[in-house]
Amino acid sequence: MPTRDLVLAALFAAIIIVLGLVPPVMLGFIPVPITAQSLGVMLAGVVLGAKRGTIAVLLVLVLAAIGLPVLSGGRGGLAVFMAPTTGYLIGWVFAAMVTGYLSQIMVGRDQAGLVQGVNFFIAALMGGVIVLYGIGITYLALITGMGFVKAFLGSLAFIPGDVLKAVIAALAGRAVMAGYPLLPQRA
Amino acid sequence: MDIHFDKAEARFDGRVTLHPLTVRLTERRIGVIGLNGSGKTTFARMINGLVSPASGNVVVNGFDTKADTDRARAQVGFIFQNPQNQIILPILKEDIALGLMSRKLSKGEIEARTTAILKRFGIGHLADRRSHELSGGELQLAAFASVLVTEPDILIMDEPTNQLDLKNRNLVARTISELPENVIVLTHDLDLIAGFERVLLFDNGRLAGDGNAAEIIARYRELAA
Amino acid sequence: MKTLYMDGSGFLHRLSARAKLVLLAVASLALFLIQSPLVLGVGAVASGLLFASLRIGWRQTWLRLRVLFLTIAAVALFTLVFNSPVEAVSVFFRLSALALLASAVTATTTTGDFITEVTFAALPLEKLGLVKAADIGLSIGLVLRFIPEILLRHQAIRDAHIARGLRPRTLSIIVPLIILTLKNADEIASAIDARAIRAQK
Repeated sequence: MPTRDLVLAALFAAIIIVLGLVPPVMLGFIPVPITAQSLGVMLAGVVLGAKRGTIAVLLVLVLAAIGLPVLSGGRGGLAVFMAPTTGYLIGWVFAAMVTGYLSQIMVGRDQAGLVQGVNFFIAALMGGVIVLYGIGITYLALITGMGFVKAFLGSLAFIPGDVLKAVIAALAGRAVMAGYPLLPQRA
Repeated sequence: MDIHFDKAEARFDGRVTLHPLTVRLTERRIGVIGLNGSGKTTFARMINGLVSPASGNVVVNGFDTKADTDRARAQVGFIFQNPQNQIILPILKEDIALGLMSRKLSKGEIEARTTAILKRFGIGHLADRRSHELSGGELQLAAFASVLVTEPDILIMDEPTNQLDLKNRNLVARTISELPENVIVLTHDLDLIAGFERVLLFDNGRLAGDGNAAEIIARYRELAA
Repeated sequence: MKTLYMDGSGFLHRLSARAKLVLLAVASLALFLIQSPLVLGVGAVASGLLFASLRIGWRQTWLRLRVLFLTIAAVALFTLVFNSPVEAVSVFFRLSALALLASAVTATTTTGDFITEVTFAALPLEKLGLVKAADIGLSIGLVLRFIPEILLRHQAIRDAHIARGLRPRTLSIIVPLIILTLKNADEIASAIDARAIRAQK
């Protein structure tokens, strides 16, 4: 893997971690402060693409696993990987992968801004919401034995916030592509 | 030191960034000046193989930078503009030791050399400090330590004082004057190289001047007027 | 960044990282295979005692595990309402035992030891050509090195907003944060390559 890609992934992992450390800012009109860390996962996909974005997320998880409090709220250690919500962490990896892959194939530098925005939104939604919740809910259902329906109902409340994050990720992806494009990936 | 460019040309994205250049460098202190985009940065990066010649070749102390990149690169220490981007591990001494990791040295030997190089630049007391806590000047010295720990023959510095305040700029100037290594400095800070044996001037991807410092600097001022 | 490791000299501290990870894996498997709430209860108590023996203290324990325990309590409550009290109790004991055992391993194993284990575990992946084990340690170092600077940059961007009389908004903070941070990648990568840090041994 080219050194530049390794560095980009590592820097983005640091960004994802910082997004979990800073006080949550109001997200649009939702009156509850929501942490931006899962937004960071979608951003990894739209900015870096599938491979580098996934590596960035994996790095965050490895750092959490080795005992560093890098997850929002100062969480870390092996315990977060043995929790009912661990499925969302596993889901992060695939969220970045899917968001990244879709961003790479759907978004082009020469597209109109609106088109780029819509495509990034689809990518962020598919990865950061559909795939992420698919895995998170499945894991929750299996580990706790509560079944899919109840696991889904239990997770429902968080979905609107994450859809809003997908919008923000799309707008950010468009802006970053205009200012410092990293997609399509340079050989 | 013996750096030989033999009709070496560089391209990027199809464009020519350095036209075929033939020049031999042996002096102890060499300055390289030129406007931004003049090709001087490409020239410097061809010496340690970060940029490969599209045609022709570059030979450093007998090693071809394309055919024998690793050994050519080992001859050269390279210092970049931002010292923060060169110290890449959280604890200073671990970063310095990183350069020695690919050699087959014992842990004790690595520790000894790391301590020695930090002491040489007066930052031995910062060995266990976190990198992000270091001041600009300390980071600059750390950058020196990080590349010189492997004892390269040649040190190239790419605009080393660009981001520094006057105090740190003077620190770098003093450090350069005391270095036993062969030094090549790319810079806009003309005072830094005013006493150098030889100065190269680049313009539009070509060598536009090559001679003593006073003469070439004067030519550069004309060019930039 | 401060790690979750706590210095000590007890039995768990002296046990090797590899042994602890293996035992944790075995214990996790057992906890999922066991259905009896009674046995799970014993397991939870035993895990609790093990964790307590580390003398981490109530405050630290709460700080580390509060989100996790709230989640476990929520799940147990959910199970109580929608399934049965017996299942709720089993779920509670099982998840609690896991949380406590995992936390005990984290608190008694240093980051350095963990990195050694991760690098070791990556060796088969290296054989497959997927990753270079040495890159893992380097990447971890890079992340830790730049977190404080990126944090400062975030603060600076927020301050710039406030100075201009703007409310800090997520979008207008993250875009410059990303661009300014990633712009350094080229120089960092060049510096790494110039020092031949990733060169083959």
